[in-house]
Amino acid sequence: MIQMLRAALVLLMAVIAPAALADETCMSPYMAKIVGQEDYVYIWTLGMEGVGDGEDKLVTVDVNPESENYGQVVHSLSVGGRNEAHHSGLTDDRRYLWASGLDTSKIFIFDIHTDPAQPRIHREIDDFVAKTGGIVGPHTNYALPGRMLITGLSNNRDHGGRTGMAEYTNDGDFITSVWMPTDDNLQGAVKSGNYADGYGYDARALPRRNVLVTSSFTGWNNYMMNLGKMMSDPEAMKRFGNTVVIWDLHARTPKKVLDVPGAPLELRCAWGSRSNYCFTTTALTSKIWLIYEDDAGEWQAKAVADIGDASKIPLPVDISISADDNHLWVNTWNDGNVRLFDISDPHAPEQVFEERIGEQINMVSQSWDGERVYFTSSLLANWDKTGSNDDSDVQYFKLFKWDGEKLTPDFSLDFVAMGLGSPHQMRFGAHALYGKPAAKVDHDSMAAR
Amino acid sequence: MVLAPGYEELEFEPPVAGSYLLPPMGAAADGSVLDTAGVQGRLHDYLGDKATVLSFIFTTCSDVNGCPLATYVMSGVQTAVLDDPALDGKVRLLSFSFDPEKDTPSALGQYGDQFRSADFDWQFLTTHSEQELRPILDAYDQWVIRDYDEAGQYLGTMSHVLRVYLIDQDRQIRNIYSTSFLHADTVVNDLRTLLAE
Repeated sequence: MIQMLRAALVLLMAVIAPAALADETCMSPYMAKIVGQEDYVYIWTLGMEGVGDGEDKLVTVDVNPESENYGQVVHSLSVGGRNEAHHSGLTDDRRYLWASGLDTSKIFIFDIHTDPAQPRIHREIDDFVAKTGGIVGPHTNYALPGRMLITGLSNNRDHGGRTGMAEYTNDGDFITSVWMPTDDNLQGAVKSGNYADGYGYDARALPRRNVLVTSSFTGWNNYMMNLGKMMSDPEAMKRFGNTVVIWDLHARTPKKVLDVPGAPLELRCAWGSRSNYCFTTTALTSKIWLIYEDDAGEWQAKAVADIGDASKIPLPVDISISADDNHLWVNTWNDGNVRLFDISDPHAPEQVFEERIGEQINMVSQSWDGERVYFTSSLLANWDKTGSNDDSDVQYFKLFKWDGEKLTPDFSLDFVAMGLGSPHQMRFGAHALYGKPAAKVDHDSMAAR
Repeated sequence: MVLAPGYEELEFEPPVAGSYLLPPMGAAADGSVLDTAGVQGRLHDYLGDKATVLSFIFTTCSDVNGCPLATYVMSGVQTAVLDDPALDGKVRLLSFSFDPEKDTPSALGQYGDQFRSADFDWQFLTTHSEQELRPILDAYDQWVIRDYDEAGQYLGTMSHVLRVYLIDQDRQIRNIYSTSFLHADTVVNDLRTLLAE
């Protein structure tokens, strides 16, 4: 018990940003981190018509190998209807999980600390569009001190890509919103290239440098459209983001708009105490881009590596950076592969590993030590494949063990066969975060780095 | 151990005071408190007339990036405010204990005397009991786990996420700082921004 509580202390005090913090490797630097064995993975799951109750749901999988329920779904909480469940994020104290819907713009706040094995609904935000002045499609739920930053994908005027960001208290009360800089209104930002499109997607902070970085995808009209129809519509294909914006984190004002053409999606910033850079990948041009502060203190963007053969449209989706900043996992949705890049020289990443994980691989989350790598499959309801070739492996949650050279399959759950739906974002939970014992947990493994 | 940014020079030039907004984050809650003389009062007695920086601490906290960081940064704020005639007399610091058992009024007074300038409005507050403390912590969303041994004895340590609050003269919370964010220069900049409104 004492050891467990000491572990909790380590976890809760470990909120200092610079020194290597690991999905664990991809979250807010303000947040407590699970540095040992995670107990649960919470999977925000899209409802599928005809599969189970058809509703979006938060699915809890027990992933502690010492548990008798290892590798099993131990809880499923449906939220009523389908919202285009997509991303989720934890509050800075890690007591609540925010999960948002891109279609309905609803946000569901789950209490995961009262009983980490059985999340419950704490609050539902159903007036996001009205409160934010027209932002549609809440995407990234990112922890800042005592509050959540929510990026949007669209707006309620034309349902295109121009959008903004909102802030809420941890309890779910609206604080403020800000729109992305555009040619019409740069809000004081410097347009450094050809674009100031005002699109949004992901956000990450480097508090030590007072920098917030945002990326850009596409609006509701596109992400809710059938994929084949959109791909054959030249006008629709023009409506993708081509920018990354550098913000003053403290003032929440845009400082510089960088050209990153081809829909830059997930952002992952380095953890090193002197590492002033982040990575993103472009969905349409299949490249890794480095967003970095140069020797003169100017923030720049440059393409630093190709991901597969761009002419075959691999479609890079989620990425995950290792705690030591040396490796980057990159999933490509179209070919079902994961690639590992050596990013020890961030200006010259080199691919060192590639393996097929499964149809329409999308999200990747790794444990703090990098030894466990989790994958899910779903992208968007109207973009996902129907599984005409292999019905048994199109919507999955898979765990692989990584030994530095190869991925070894551990378990795989078929979310369609289980009547759950399409699994998307994964977040980790642990009893020790809340000073509570878990059945058969090796607390000695919950040590500090 | 990596020291928090608050112990070092700020790595960036903060935005110009008054050039940015600090949107209200909700009302700062009230509650029953004790000062270092043991006199009972209300937390709201200490809020409203000045811009206030409030931190929750306990004096036996040993994590250098936790409560000691909060007190170190508030000490830096004290120095900066005393050096700035535009701020002097308009700012209050509050260090609020979340350990009423060990942080008695006299213990807290001795702790505060190590840091407080005689001519500065830095108050140290505690409570009679856990029952009086709990609703205040809940209202400020300051989550704390008390550490107990296997026999249920309190170990005198607590796990918590460090939070420091900036509160305006209307008793509205205007900013929250945690370990990665807390720095005297940033807090003073925010105080100037509040007082320029």
